[in-house]
Amino acid sequence: MSIRRAVAVTMIACLLTSAAACGGDDDDASGGGGEITAEGTDDGSELTLWTRAPLELQAKALVDAYNKTHKNQVKLTVTPNDDYVAKVGAAAGSGGLPDLFAADIVYVPNWTKAGLFDDLSERIELLPYADKINQGHLTAGTFEDKRYVLPFVLDLSVIFYNKKLYREAGLDPEKGPSTIDEFKDQALAIQQLGKKDTYGTYFGGNCGGCNVFTWFPMVWAGGQEVMNPEGTQSLLDGTAAQQVYRTWRELQDAGAIAPGAKDETGATWVAGFQEGKVGVMPYPATLLSTAAKTVDVGVVPIPGVDGGASTFVGGDGIGISKDSKHSEQAWNFLSWLSSEAAQVDVIAATGSTVSRTDLADNKYSQKDPRVAVVNRVASLPQSKTPVSVNFQQAFNAPGSPWMTLVRNQVYGEAGSLAQDNTALTDALAQ
Amino acid sequence: MSRLLIRTPQVVLTGGLAIVFLFPLVWASLASVSPQAGTRQSDGWGFGNYATLATYQAGIGQYILNSTAISLLTVAFTLFASVTGGYAFANFRFPGRNALFLVTLAILMVPYATLLIPLYVLLNSLGLQNSLVGLALVLSMFQLPFATFMMRISFEAVPDELREAALIDGCGSFRALLRVLLPAAKPGLVTVGLFAFLAAWNDFITPLVLISDSDKMPLPLAVANLRGQVMGIVDYGATEAGVVVLALPCVVLFLALQRHYVRGFMSGALKG
Amino acid sequence: MAKANPAAGWAYATPTALFVLVFFVLPILLVGRMSVSDWGLFAGNRGWNAPENFTDALENRLFWPAVWFTVKYTVVTTVILLGLALGLALLVQESSRWTSFLRTSFLVPSALGLASASLLFYALYSPQASPFPGQISFLGTPWSALWSTVALIVWRFAGFYMLLLLVGLHSIPGDVYEAARLDGASRGQTFRHVTLPLLRPSLALCTILCVTGSLLAFDQFYILTKGGPDNSTVTIVQLVYNVAFQGQNNLGRAAALSIVVLAALLIVNVLQFRGLRGKES
Repeated sequence: MSIRRAVAVTMIACLLTSAAACGGDDDDASGGGGEITAEGTDDGSELTLWTRAPLELQAKALVDAYNKTHKNQVKLTVTPNDDYVAKVGAAAGSGGLPDLFAADIVYVPNWTKAGLFDDLSERIELLPYADKINQGHLTAGTFEDKRYVLPFVLDLSVIFYNKKLYREAGLDPEKGPSTIDEFKDQALAIQQLGKKDTYGTYFGGNCGGCNVFTWFPMVWAGGQEVMNPEGTQSLLDGTAAQQVYRTWRELQDAGAIAPGAKDETGATWVAGFQEGKVGVMPYPATLLSTAAKTVDVGVVPIPGVDGGASTFVGGDGIGISKDSKHSEQAWNFLSWLSSEAAQVDVIAATGSTVSRTDLADNKYSQKDPRVAVVNRVASLPQSKTPVSVNFQQAFNAPGSPWMTLVRNQVYGEAGSLAQDNTALTDALAQ
Repeated sequence: MSRLLIRTPQVVLTGGLAIVFLFPLVWASLASVSPQAGTRQSDGWGFGNYATLATYQAGIGQYILNSTAISLLTVAFTLFASVTGGYAFANFRFPGRNALFLVTLAILMVPYATLLIPLYVLLNSLGLQNSLVGLALVLSMFQLPFATFMMRISFEAVPDELREAALIDGCGSFRALLRVLLPAAKPGLVTVGLFAFLAAWNDFITPLVLISDSDKMPLPLAVANLRGQVMGIVDYGATEAGVVVLALPCVVLFLALQRHYVRGFMSGALKG
Repeated sequence: MAKANPAAGWAYATPTALFVLVFFVLPILLVGRMSVSDWGLFAGNRGWNAPENFTDALENRLFWPAVWFTVKYTVVTTVILLGLALGLALLVQESSRWTSFLRTSFLVPSALGLASASLLFYALYSPQASPFPGQISFLGTPWSALWSTVALIVWRFAGFYMLLLLVGLHSIPGDVYEAARLDGASRGQTFRHVTLPLLRPSLALCTILCVTGSLLAFDQFYILTKGGPDNSTVTIVQLVYNVAFQGQNNLGRAAALSIVVLAALLIVNVLQFRGLRGKES
């Protein structure tokens, strides 16, 4: 009996200490030990890469293209969007992260601060086109002047409108809205067609991420900010923001928002437009090719109160994990990822936005002026990626303070703005 | 005849109830083959959604294989632990018996989202990370409270005379277990096995955290991945097809074993 | 009837004991340690901080609403589920072809996993795929979200509890009913004074299982409502999950919450055992 007890005690002790050791700050960069180069090493190693399900299409295309042309072989693991953080977290706590992993760009500041990624500063310096890489993503992946993350897949928000419905409503199908008021008027005009199952616009009324993605640019376009530069204080009670809320409330009161918006958690917020039931709405640019299959789509940048244009530079960043034993080989993948071969022949070919400004004008964008619009808006100075350590908790999480603010502004007590904004600041600042 | 007539209202009522219970399953099967916008099966009836499922990543065959392996391992581990454990609790008195039984039942009381991180750490230190065996061991642990309880009452329900006769015949306690008790407790075994299989086949959160290799993912994880697509859009067609593929083996197995399963509960008679 | 043979007893109990020790007791100890440490999801252990996690957990703005909602959900589910299960058990207790068909149809949903069942209802409730006409909002208001989830749970579990109660009904000897009939008791009287008291052990088991299961509810809300709308359907386990993985990413606080839940469940179950035993004797 005593032997068994001794075994048990030892096991407990082992477990508790090993867990503590893993959890500690063992930040030793375990590289290949070789010299740092711009291309990294391609020696037939097996690399692992994790990403979340929404980016599966692009990730798979990239991995396939890389594996075909390189000795290194990348193994891809896709995880459902909502469970990705849990999976990365479990792995991070016990040194089990893959060589490479992508992260929603708004979570990147939090993850770099927690030390999940390897420092890439020197390597990025070596890339000849370092200054052409999307600045929003690079900034989000910078912590204490060190760079940890490169853009993986870019996703931008733009205005999509249904040209067929525009013609029927007597609007100019070649001219989308160029101010928020025009957006409202055009949505109302579509609504006034009185067609069955056809509505002016739509939004995710219960989806924090959707409205971050589509409403922030309306604020930025006029030169205002949504947060202070440190990302610890919410400025979403500013005049432009108020104008945005008012616009949506008026659309709601006029019945110009398709039904279901209030319950929309983001699962189907793009479906109505694809089915031709929605006139005009801010939309993810990645879905241009999908939507264009069923609808004659027009694309313009998201406008501000007095015009201007902006977009939310979303999508995912990617870095080498602190646990990688093949960081030279993993860098080979990242270096290739930002090369013209990957950006144009894979990313642009799948209809996504390239992450280098010097490649914005390519053979795919020349074929479709709408793609050119998207690429152009990506490099505007007003286009941003918001950076805050507590972004997820404040904005994206179910039931976040941002969600409370939005729902009060559109459906509830609009007078509670100051109070809701304070709650948002509290969440950001903690 | 007249008896039937008197019973008509009751038949209508109960029949209605049965329809309510069967409706969601029937609907899911029909919806998965019916035309629906935003899915692969956008016009006409057909198996487009199943095609989406079949060609997803490593292919559905691989996922079914993984799920089968996980489920069978879980059944084996659960049966082994619960048969020996149930036998110990039912037939022997030993120090710590009640404490161990209560701790086993306490597994039911822990929110298992909490246990996953420690389990992940633990499996790593045992060298069982990312392995189907490790996953099956964890899933078996979650089955233990019910399985041990069930086997204990099943063994207790075997008449004492039968057991004693076996022992007097010169069987050791192990042979008594094999020769007499196991055959007598067969319905209980089927029930425990079936429960373990169903639970392992359907579990989602545990493999999500414990398995990181796409080639080792079980079916529910693949279905969940398939559901959430670009920008969180849900492909309802593929979801429905996935639910059908997930449910079909369970329902078939359940119907095939139903007689034993119901008897498993009856034989124990839950003497409380 | 159980023999006093410690060596053999322990020999047979060893697999169970090992399982429980390695996969349950050790992880629980680690949870306990996390609950008194500053333990981030990504950053790992950053030293002791007791009792900060517990005070932070109790001060969480969603903690008391979550407790209240979980209790409300548990009461609603338990009452409806057990009431319906008892009714179904009474309907199908005689055996005939028709009743065995009924039994099977009530039981089939319990073959589905809770996650698949939730996914099925997720599609059933969605405005896009739903077979119900019109724009019914199944998950849009706190009230409808609660009842839509209860409907799913009742559908999934009614057959299972019906079976447990059926077992109890069958174990009531026929001569007891015979005696009641001879005494001239009406059907209602027989039910109240004979069936219910004799069914108590089965009902007790069902209550304990149902209460424990409902207090730990997670999958159904995670898939169907994600705690919405407006945080009205956040259960306590969901709060644990959110604190750990969605937003705060704080394992220490999540562990502290789990310890609180575990303690509460132990107390609830001890009280239930006491109450149900006390009445019996």
